[in-house]
Amino acid sequence: MSDNPIFRPLVAAIVVALLQTAFLGYMIESRASILRSGVDVVLKTVPVDPRDLLRGDYVILAYDISTIPADKITGGFPTEAMDAQLSVRLEKQSDGFWGVAEASFGPLAPKDGSVIARSAPFYYYPTPDNPPSSLNVEYGIERYYVPEGEGRVLEEARNASALAVTASIDDDGRMQIRVISIDGKPLYEEPLY
Amino acid sequence: MYRGRIEKDFNIWVSKGMLGADAAKAMLAEYDSRETVFSAGRVLLVLAAVLLSAAILLLVAANWEAIPRLVRVGGIVALIWAFYLSAAVCLGRGWRGMGAAFLVLGTMTFGGAIALVGQMYHLSGDAAEALLVWFAAACVAALAFRSAALSVISGFLAWAVFGQLVMDNDASLAGNGYIYFIPGLIVLVIALVRYTNAGAARHLAYLLALAWLGWLYLELPEVWLAAALFGLGLLAFLLVSLPMSPLYRFAQEAGAAPAFYSFALAILGLAVLHAEMDGVGQEVALGATTLGVALGGIAVAGRLNGAVRFLGYAVFAVEILYLAFETLGSILGTSGFFLISGVVVGLIAWLVIRLEKRLAATSAVEGI
Repeated sequence: MSDNPIFRPLVAAIVVALLQTAFLGYMIESRASILRSGVDVVLKTVPVDPRDLLRGDYVILAYDISTIPADKITGGFPTEAMDAQLSVRLEKQSDGFWGVAEASFGPLAPKDGSVIARSAPFYYYPTPDNPPSSLNVEYGIERYYVPEGEGRVLEEARNASALAVTASIDDDGRMQIRVISIDGKPLYEEPLY
Repeated sequence: MYRGRIEKDFNIWVSKGMLGADAAKAMLAEYDSRETVFSAGRVLLVLAAVLLSAAILLLVAANWEAIPRLVRVGGIVALIWAFYLSAAVCLGRGWRGMGAAFLVLGTMTFGGAIALVGQMYHLSGDAAEALLVWFAAACVAALAFRSAALSVISGFLAWAVFGQLVMDNDASLAGNGYIYFIPGLIVLVIALVRYTNAGAARHLAYLLALAWLGWLYLELPEVWLAAALFGLGLLAFLLVSLPMSPLYRFAQEAGAAPAFYSFALAILGLAVLHAEMDGVGQEVALGATTLGVALGGIAVAGRLNGAVRFLGYAVFAVEILYLAFETLGSILGTSGFFLISGVVVGLIAWLVIRLEKRLAATSAVEGI
């Protein structure tokens, strides 16, 4: 069978295509698993500067939990420049949105009524006026792709602070967008697949 | 090109009666029948594949909402399978050009698929990470199919990773560290080029190595680094171009490129050293070193390697102009420097000519 000249390229084709399919499946499933098993939090969006930042076909989202005041940070700041990640404890506030209760460069212990999000890695360097008054972080939910031309509505709502995002957080603190709503009415609901 | 030059030489040798007309014809026919020989049809086929890939990528970018997500994912995965399986069938039947074109289509479509999935599922991932995955996929496919065309794609994707890191400002020494992967990517591409016999694609890897080292100096502008670049380049150049070196035979298989790019690295080191020099003594020393390296490069590798020869001449000329404009101390000082240089180079020329004549005489005697 292996004498057939087509045998080797055929095996190569199947291996290569399988590997590539597996990677695409992994991309899709790692997001779906967050939506399936995660805890939902409702997040308030904040206007983005510059205000008109519709990049191609996605809207840039920023949240009030993206800015973390220095006094919320427990366990101190790193003394040396480093690639850092923040653990951020989110708790439900009286207005229904979830906000930052505390954050730490190290791990945080789980606590009832709160969830812990992990920020995307960012580069931290100590500044002369140490510590900074606040830190800006991302959570991997800053982009929302929309059909061509539909971005404007979201942008305006975002800039009017009327846009709310419901996100799921899994046990590792990774987040994915589940629902985008304007003035409490769901506009986009994300299916698992 | 080589094909044109050798045909001209054959005609001369045939007309002088040194070579039989039939033998010359047979040699040219053998050359034309080789696998790696340029074929317009094959090149156009791969270019067509690249254009079709671009169409697929743009289709993705248009974000066609009318079709349900899973259908879109299924469609693009089916495309990947169809392209690779078609490639396998073509290669199995010996249609190498079509096979290469399908491999290019499959690999480009995978890149499109990563973008499509990221876009549909709102994954705000890192572009450099996506490119790294794409690069890895191209390498695996090039290895599995032993495909020269995919080695070329890998070379371009390695460049894309480097470019993306620079654009993301992640290329700083203290950034996310991906920039340290680049030498690894270069080694991978060179290994693939050798394994798949991809010829010209090695220049992508060597140029990336030069760009990366240049970037390293921009990030870390220190005298020792500039000196290290020069030393490293000179050492590598000598290793690949001196016949007594253990690497000589290995490097000769790769053609003129190893000698040229190591020589270029030495020159790059010298060029940045010029920015670090201070005072007449240092400038004279560096100027003399640069001229010496340019002439040395021509002497060591210039006879067989046209690229090194031209770079040597160019560096020599530019350095002379630089020294003339820079003025070493005073115009009189510069003049003195050129006077001494002229006498020294003249002496060397006389020595080299005598040496070449003796070498030619001995080989002529041996020939009889």
